[in-house]
Amino acid sequence: MQPAGRASESTRASGEKAAAQAQRRQGMLLASPGALYLLIFFVAPLALISVYSFATRTSTGRTSLSGWNIESYRAIGDDVILGIIGRSAWLATLTTALCLAVGYPFAYYLATRPRHVRAILLVLVMIPFWTNGLVRVFAIRFLLGSNGPASALSESLGFGTFRILFTPTAVTIGMVYSFLTLMVLPLYVALERMDWSLTEAARDLYASGSRAFWKVTLPLTKSGIVAGSVLVFVPSFGSYVVPDILGGAKTLLIGSYIARQFRDARNYPLGAALSVLLIVAMLVAVALNQRSGSGAEGGDRPRRRRRGRARTEPEPAAVS
Amino acid sequence: MTGAVAAVEIDGVTKRFGEVVAVDNVDLAIDDGEFFALLGPSGCGKTTTLRMIAGLDLPTEGSLRIFGEEVGMAPPDLRPVNTVFQAYALFPHMTVRQNIEFGLRMRRVKDPELSQRVAEATGMVRLSGMEDRRPDQLSGGQQQRVALARALVNQPKVLLLDEPLGALDLKLRQEMQQELKALQRSVGITFVFVTHDQEEALAMSERIGVMSEGRLLQVGTPREIYERPASRFVADFIGRTNLLDASVEPAGEVRLANGARIEAETSLPAGSEVSVSLRPERARLQPRGTAAAEGSSLDGQVRDITYLGHAVVYEVAVGEMSVEVRVEGETGQPFAPGDDVTISWDHGAAAVVAD
Repeated sequence: MQPAGRASESTRASGEKAAAQAQRRQGMLLASPGALYLLIFFVAPLALISVYSFATRTSTGRTSLSGWNIESYRAIGDDVILGIIGRSAWLATLTTALCLAVGYPFAYYLATRPRHVRAILLVLVMIPFWTNGLVRVFAIRFLLGSNGPASALSESLGFGTFRILFTPTAVTIGMVYSFLTLMVLPLYVALERMDWSLTEAARDLYASGSRAFWKVTLPLTKSGIVAGSVLVFVPSFGSYVVPDILGGAKTLLIGSYIARQFRDARNYPLGAALSVLLIVAMLVAVALNQRSGSGAEGGDRPRRRRRGRARTEPEPAAVS
Repeated sequence: MTGAVAAVEIDGVTKRFGEVVAVDNVDLAIDDGEFFALLGPSGCGKTTTLRMIAGLDLPTEGSLRIFGEEVGMAPPDLRPVNTVFQAYALFPHMTVRQNIEFGLRMRRVKDPELSQRVAEATGMVRLSGMEDRRPDQLSGGQQQRVALARALVNQPKVLLLDEPLGALDLKLRQEMQQELKALQRSVGITFVFVTHDQEEALAMSERIGVMSEGRLLQVGTPREIYERPASRFVADFIGRTNLLDASVEPAGEVRLANGARIEAETSLPAGSEVSVSLRPERARLQPRGTAAAEGSSLDGQVRDITYLGHAVVYEVAVGEMSVEVRVEGETGQPFAPGDDVTISWDHGAAAVVAD
């Protein structure tokens, strides 16, 4: 067996190369419909937006592509726009923090249930997520409205009716509700992977329950916290539907402001420039997430290197 | 049992998980400074017993004392014990040093005592120079040492070890057995360790408690457990043995199922159905008719031979029964399949065990 194998080593090597090539070609074939779709409906519009952001708005509200400039980016420095960006960032931060505060204990509860209970609870978590977002936001609007059940309850308890609809509070409530699932799922994944013998070890080493949580459980689920926070922060920051329906004029956020540029003000270049800014901010957030994600596990990197080495090692062994 | 207070005293402890009885009314006293093994097959309740001593599981019934102090319901952080976990449970986000000093920090031990004790513990398990590595940069043996140091640095009154060597390969395991024994002698702390490996238990511990299906079947020195097993299960679980069906005769004799009478001591009443446990290496093999007058013997025919290098194992048919005889360092003439032989053993070499 072995001498024969050695003799045909060169032919086998070339055969192996051809097989790898065929595999690569096959992979490309499989990926091509998705790649084509993304190219047409994602990359192309994105490129168009980028181009528009350097264009000029003519006095008649049209967009002139001749004479590129960065006027639209300069306009972002305007106090009104900066105020809108600031408010959006603040509400997104608040939404993220609230989602984390509500989502972590919930994900913890979920991840520590018996397996069959977990499956049911997870579906329950997903149901609102699968429901039309617009419908859900209108439901919140009804709930929070001055004639709605929340107000009626408060009145019957003697606190009087309340007006929270069309305030930043209503927007925050709506956004927490809309994006909570995006926080719970990565947290659930992180907590579900948690090795609970580690918290037992902490308890055994004289840590109280809460100290074991802060010293062991929380740091070890950091990746879930970071991922969930990015997943909530990014759509909250650019959110358009929720503030539009629950916020009213007083809580103009960047998402609505961009929509207004395209729809009403017919200032495509400014809208495009703000969109580009939003995308860049998002990319930065994702990049930070990636970096802290690999840093969270500490020794992750050497392990990955070792795994890479291990993967190359069995190959010669398999040959002989 | 010198009248001094026991390190661990388990008194009528039962643990139920729903319908399942994991530990069933166990009584056990472990002496101060003892190296004690809880031995049994998986699912026998040995780990649950250990976890109840640690406080990671709470007993459903019964009481549990550590050096006389009732701790049955105390949380783990308030017990003077530490555990070496099965897969070590080292904190992956901390360095070796941070792992080892965790317990001291939780008890607010400050420098210089902190760093002095950490250095001592690190040196004791020969990990000096590796303090800044993370657990996943260590070999299995090194991780094991970190787990030991992390527990011992707290100077617990009792150290609990859950299958501490289970994850190591054979050679390393044998080295660590010696090391653990030496370590226990030098620190003088009571070690309670759980294992399913009977050889490990025999080699390491001063006393062994054998468990099966939640019950503690026998407690004794390795020699007692091996040579005087209290039940068929213990005899069968510890080492290899021939279990021959037998019954007790009125004169204190024991009669095997094939009718042969053998000499054996038993306190069981006449008429009891018992088993005779004959260790393969305690039996001798001779050509038929040359057996010595002393002791007991059985006539049979060699059926199968397994050559192991340092020993030869003969499978001998004795009527319906099959008896394994292990001849170490082969002396005398070898036998071939089909040879008529006599199996003999000295008085006291076989043990009578209740079924």
